[in-house]
Amino acid sequence: MRWPVPGSLRLRFLLAVSLWVLLGIGAIWFSAVRIFSHHVEQSYHEELEVHVRELGGLTEIAPDGRIVLSRPLSDPRYAEPLSGFYWQVTAEGRAPLRSASMTRGRLDESIAHSPEILHRLNSGPTGPAITYGYTRKGPAGEDIHFVISTDQSELDRLINSFTRDLTAWLAALAALLLATGFAIISFGLRPLDRLARAFARLRHGETEELEGRYPAEIAPLAADLNAYIRQNEAMIARARVQAGNLAHCLRTPLAIITDEAERLAQHDDSRAAGAVLLDQAGAMEQQIEYQLARARSGAGRKPSGRGVVLPDVVLPILRAMERLHPGKRFTLVSGSDQRAVLPLDPVDYTEVLSILLDNAGKWARSEVTISIDQPHAGGCTVAIADDGPGIPEAQIPQAFAVGTRFDPEVAGSGLGLAIARDLCDAMGAELTLANGAGGLVARLHYPSTSGE
Amino acid sequence: MRLLVVEDDPELGRRLTERLRAADFAVELATSRSEAEDWPDVGRMGAVILDLGLPDGSGLDLLRHWRDRRLETPILILTARGSWQDKVEGLNAGADDFVVKPVRFEELLARLNALFRRQQGTRATTIAAGDLALDPVARTATLAGAPLALSRQEFRLLHLFLRRAGQVLSQTDILDDLYALDDEREPNTVEVLVGRLRRKIGRTRITTLRGHGYRFDK
Repeated sequence: MRWPVPGSLRLRFLLAVSLWVLLGIGAIWFSAVRIFSHHVEQSYHEELEVHVRELGGLTEIAPDGRIVLSRPLSDPRYAEPLSGFYWQVTAEGRAPLRSASMTRGRLDESIAHSPEILHRLNSGPTGPAITYGYTRKGPAGEDIHFVISTDQSELDRLINSFTRDLTAWLAALAALLLATGFAIISFGLRPLDRLARAFARLRHGETEELEGRYPAEIAPLAADLNAYIRQNEAMIARARVQAGNLAHCLRTPLAIITDEAERLAQHDDSRAAGAVLLDQAGAMEQQIEYQLARARSGAGRKPSGRGVVLPDVVLPILRAMERLHPGKRFTLVSGSDQRAVLPLDPVDYTEVLSILLDNAGKWARSEVTISIDQPHAGGCTVAIADDGPGIPEAQIPQAFAVGTRFDPEVAGSGLGLAIARDLCDAMGAELTLANGAGGLVARLHYPSTSGE
Repeated sequence: MRLLVVEDDPELGRRLTERLRAADFAVELATSRSEAEDWPDVGRMGAVILDLGLPDGSGLDLLRHWRDRRLETPILILTARGSWQDKVEGLNAGADDFVVKPVRFEELLARLNALFRRQQGTRATTIAAGDLALDPVARTATLAGAPLALSRQEFRLLHLFLRRAGQVLSQTDILDDLYALDDEREPNTVEVLVGRLRRKIGRTRITTLRGHGYRFDK
């Protein structure tokens, strides 16, 4: 069973069930103890009344004037010394007769002052005692006082013993009820636990939609969310297709304009016009590339769908780079054999990695190393190092500006790093450049999302 | 050298063909995927310049189709689709280079020459055989350090011989490399050209193999 966290539905149910069980069991305990005590007291008192009657019935006045019993009382406890069960018969002018159990003390006979049986709580030979008594006229018309007394502790012992047993049984029952209650809550909340796990997998980019079958109450939620995810994916896909179509519509005429401008620039009389056109076509191309890259972006973070799987996503890019930069070696160094899944848009991540690797490939003398550090809790750092000349420290901040080109001889638009930085900002990743031991090192750091 | 340009935009196709011809290539133009796919001798082209957005299918599928059939001709993708996803996909499908439109013609030419050099397994711009050297980018040839005065066709023939030194080249091979299919071909053109080249670079370098063709000895 999962431990309930503050503010959870599970905790709410657990508290409600606990309260329900404790109230129920408490009420049962209270009423059972009350009813039992009442019942025990009643039968106890009835028994004492019977005993005092029996005492009266057995008492005789012997010919010598002594008070005697025709036979002992039927309850043997009156014969055991200090057993808590005592009787006493007194009459004026005669020696009192007491039970064998009463080896010390005497009973207060004041309760026996009328032919009616009365009772009250007195102090007896061995502590507080319930005393019953009545009077009867003797042969000489004198009052004979019959008193029976039983220790209050005797009744208390009976009630306490019952209460103790009852408490133990009810506690066991409460524990059983709580345990089954918790089990029922767990069983009932299991679909929600599955939903939470499915959400986590979705959020971490491990699945493309909310997976699993759910009860009727939450199935519509899962279905609606999946529909929303598909709609969102379709929207991004449509935006990318539109960006591609727009690219085609703009770039083909621009290619013709560039060609015409180049032709004009070859002739003396139209050289200046050709140069102006080439400049403007170049500026247009730069804007088209920059704006289309932004339009293609899936806003970086993956709200849903399969995320970036490292190092798998790097491999096709490295193969492409080896073709694009023949003679340069691209080496992948992974800090772990394990795969890491980042909740990012694979298209955007591929774009950033490709820009960085292509830059490294352009500037490297012979080797580009891409290293993936030990992925931890969803976070990961990818470092791309080349053995090229690096960038003077002071110029590193400029590297991210739109249109910055450090060497016009090296092919490129000067947009790559600006686009990469924009995509990183949207993804919540951090892109830094630094001069390393051999050349430039670009670091793409994506922080862990486990705290979210 | 012969090139196949696969480009559906008629204006861009025309311009590209024109400029490549001006740069001494024999250029064929295919304007659709099916036309390019049915092209009889793509394997004997120097290179293919391939657009990805074709009206009757994807250029990428065409590229995969060719590579599946073990076509080894260098292929340069020239496309308006500029995302890295497209580039990575294109290069992994077997393209040798990927150029986004619009491109300055000099850059396209430099990328093509880089492809040819790569195919010959050399990174040097110049192709050399003995004391004979040819620079396809600068379009110059030297013999023992002295510049050679070659006509356009002679230069192209020498380039072909140097690229495929040691191999037997038939008349058809040579004609295919020098002329586009629809160009007019004179039957004795090759003989005349080889004769002129022999006079300029020395008689012994090119061997005639009767009934087979010619071989340039390294």
